[in-house]
Amino acid sequence: MQTPASFDYERATSVEGAIASLARLGPEARVIAGGHSLLPMMKLRLAQPEHLIDINDLEAELSYIRDEGGEIAIGALTRHVDLLKSELLAQHFPVFRDAEEVIADPVVRNRGTIGGSLCQADPAEDLSAVCTAVKAKAVIRGTDGQRVVPMDEFHVAPYMTAVNDGELLTEIRLPLFPGAGSAHEKVERRAGDWAIAAASAAVWVDRSTIHDVGIGLSAVGLTTVHLKRAEELLRGKPPSEELFQQAGQVASEDCSPMADGRGPVDYKRHLAGVLTKRALSRATARALKQEA
Amino acid sequence: MTATDTLTRAIGTPLARIEGREKVTGEARYAYEYQPENVAYAEPVQAHIARGEIRSVDASETLAQPGVIAVIWNENAPKLADGADAELALFQSRRVAYRGQYVAAVVADTQEAAREGQRLLRIDYVEEPHDVVLRENHPKLYTPEKVNPSFPAHMEKGNVEAALASAAASVDVTYRTPAFHNNAMEPHATVALWQDGDLILYDSNQGAPAHRDAIAGVFDLPPERVRVIAPHVGGGFGSKGTPRPQAILAAMAAQMVERPVKVAVTRQQMFAVTGYRTPTIQRMRLGADAEGRLTAISHEVVEQTSTLKEFAEQTATATRVMYAAPNRLTTHQLARLDVPTPSWMRAPGECPGMFALESAMDELAIACGIDPIELRALNDTQVDPEDGETPFSSRDLVGCLREGAERFGWAERDPTPGVRRDGRWLVGTGVASSTYPAYRRAAQASARAEADGSFVVRVGAADIGTGARTALTQIAGDALGTSVDRVRVEIGDSALPKAGVAGGSMGTASWGTAVVRACEALRAKLDDNAELPAEAEADTSEEIEQQKKRARHGFGAQFAEVRVDSDSGEVRVPRLLGVFAVGRIINPRTARSQFIGGMTMGMGMALHEESVMDAAFGDYVNRDLAQYHVPSHADVQSIEAAWLDEEDDELNPMGSKGIGEIGIVGTAAAIANAVHHATGKRVRELPIRLDRLIECA
Repeated sequence: MQTPASFDYERATSVEGAIASLARLGPEARVIAGGHSLLPMMKLRLAQPEHLIDINDLEAELSYIRDEGGEIAIGALTRHVDLLKSELLAQHFPVFRDAEEVIADPVVRNRGTIGGSLCQADPAEDLSAVCTAVKAKAVIRGTDGQRVVPMDEFHVAPYMTAVNDGELLTEIRLPLFPGAGSAHEKVERRAGDWAIAAASAAVWVDRSTIHDVGIGLSAVGLTTVHLKRAEELLRGKPPSEELFQQAGQVASEDCSPMADGRGPVDYKRHLAGVLTKRALSRATARALKQEA
Repeated sequence: MTATDTLTRAIGTPLARIEGREKVTGEARYAYEYQPENVAYAEPVQAHIARGEIRSVDASETLAQPGVIAVIWNENAPKLADGADAELALFQSRRVAYRGQYVAAVVADTQEAAREGQRLLRIDYVEEPHDVVLRENHPKLYTPEKVNPSFPAHMEKGNVEAALASAAASVDVTYRTPAFHNNAMEPHATVALWQDGDLILYDSNQGAPAHRDAIAGVFDLPPERVRVIAPHVGGGFGSKGTPRPQAILAAMAAQMVERPVKVAVTRQQMFAVTGYRTPTIQRMRLGADAEGRLTAISHEVVEQTSTLKEFAEQTATATRVMYAAPNRLTTHQLARLDVPTPSWMRAPGECPGMFALESAMDELAIACGIDPIELRALNDTQVDPEDGETPFSSRDLVGCLREGAERFGWAERDPTPGVRRDGRWLVGTGVASSTYPAYRRAAQASARAEADGSFVVRVGAADIGTGARTALTQIAGDALGTSVDRVRVEIGDSALPKAGVAGGSMGTASWGTAVVRACEALRAKLDDNAELPAEAEADTSEEIEQQKKRARHGFGAQFAEVRVDSDSGEVRVPRLLGVFAVGRIINPRTARSQFIGGMTMGMGMALHEESVMDAAFGDYVNRDLAQYHVPSHADVQSIEAAWLDEEDDELNPMGSKGIGEIGIVGTAAAIANAVHHATGKRVRELPIRLDRLIECA
């Protein structure tokens, strides 16, 4: 039977208190939110934190999706199911609903959180690609105040983020610009599995031209892959299937998948291209309100 | 009232599981939940090499860990009986036969301490080069004397080569299936305690009496000194058909530390020590005349076993049953590799064998230009095709194919592959036959009439989640001529009348026969005005020995519709239909669960499951359900099981055939055939992975 090593446990009663505990306990302390990644890792002894700080009672402070004028703010403790059901998000960034429909299963979605997903920093995790595509910023708080980090700087290595010891990811901010459309495309070996590959795309269309674009890929690199070269190719051009095909080609080249039980490298590169093209097409159709 | 008056009162009704409420409320106790006083915990330590020898064990750090009581390995383990199952001869040798083998164990006051002790144990090995990859030209291939359980490895009739050479149409293709690991929801677990020299085991298994006998043998005890208790079992699928090392470890550790001991196998350990389905390489050759009548059937199988013991899966035996043809060849060859011993996994033999045969039949239908259902109907037989004379007790393969075709809408099918599109999805349909033998094994049972008008029926059967307890209650109720709520059936304990395991799809037929005979004997006593309580017993050895020679098999037809994404290679299965002719259905509710459960596993075999051997380390690498993929509910869209009314009075008093395994047989071929119909691409190696459908680079 799988049991974790022994650990101390405390339930935080405020964000400030949680951060104070994290600062006091140092590198052997971990935050537990949904627990759907951390607990299995502890049971498998891949992780052996000495202290768990449970933030599940902080919903009043950390669970929300709100329009703050020019930005949507998402509390780090917001559950997958709330992201899935949010009409506000669906209106501005349907990519979240696309992704949430294929993240694990309802049991996991009822409990898992956006903050937990991003902080787990699993390269196959979906929301990291979504946040990369929509140019999200992460709000990280410590005892000395807070800092705001773009997604490119958030993931520093597999399973490692910019959140330091003594800090807590508290919020995700999504900037709002006109003409936005977004979509997430994922292929998995079985329903609810980690992606073989997934692509998130957001476009901002202005007078029939791609004014700006963001593309993130899951499961085809050591961290979420930010397709900057493909974005460069698309920016300032009128959207077309040929253009998206070219962007897909760039995606195939610019990702760095590894062969595993989910597929060989060549197939994953192929899939990265197919899904990038699909996500761009769908995102653009949504931006132009032409989605079939 | 006579027995026949009441025979169909409960049989055939969808009685809900008798222990269903206990299970969903958590009241039903599974092996690991028994908590004797002063219990200790043992954690096995697994070999880190695939072949070699233990040089030394350094237990100092482990023994210094608070709570650790003992470390067991070759040097201090008690001697077990000679000649025991080599997979159960725990710590009897320093040799390592495969990576993951149990080579030591840590016993502690708590599970946490045992696990920490396990982590701290230092084992030094003398490593030897290992050989873990099966291939068709492996120099160690040999023909075993028999295949599981006692079929000839090699059967030959007529002249296959000559018939193939002169056939109007033929196929000569090789199919490959990977190793598959059976993973029941409840991993194997045992709680062992010794009482005055008697051994008591709470264990998760497919048959308490058989486990009692085997474990008694390992410890050189008379069987009556051992009791195995297993009232509820969370699945087995063959992997709990024989004792596994954790049961021996629990008993041995309990003996050494003189305390009850618990052992729970982890999901990861299940990929090493609890059995699996061998990978197979199957060359299929079929020849037919101009009309599509088979002239030759050849099925040559290559598979693996371990260096510890021989397990020879009967992969080609279904081919000996399915179709008529004058020239026939079925062979099995094995290589002994440095791997764990393969074992029973749902429909051993039939399941991988029918993937090859039924895929090849599809290929032959295309080669002949005949509809695949017509090809099968044309080659149907009513006598055993190997001896050409033994009649089937009943056989309605063609009825299943026709009924399925009607329900599935087969008549409108255009056979041309790769031409139906729905957007980027390619759409296709496929069919395959299914079969499983209808065996019976001798069993004993007792029936008792209580003074209050209720009845107790006892039989050493097992309910591993199949609904056996419920089906036996229905059988007993009818045999006693009473309602099911007045009958209590006791199973899952080796102290009950001796009966065989839940395996080979013969549980209900074997136990049910004994139950009916015991109930009949009790009724005879009651008819003679016996005083209450009254009891009668039955033993079916003689009845089964004297049954007429017949070919007894269930048959079925599997239909699949698939959609394949032409860009990504994703496969969806919008529809699965299975139609079965399996005698009388005892309980349509639990029967349906058996069929669709098997069919879902067949879908997993076709598309998802694959145990990947790491040749460098000699280990199956994907040892959890995040890496070893099985279908989830969302992967199964429409799945339907139906059955024909089939009367067969040459089976058993219920007229039933076993249904535990037939559901998985043929499903993978139906899906693979549908994938070919959709895409024009024939994938002969399972699983049908996305990258095998999309050619890259």
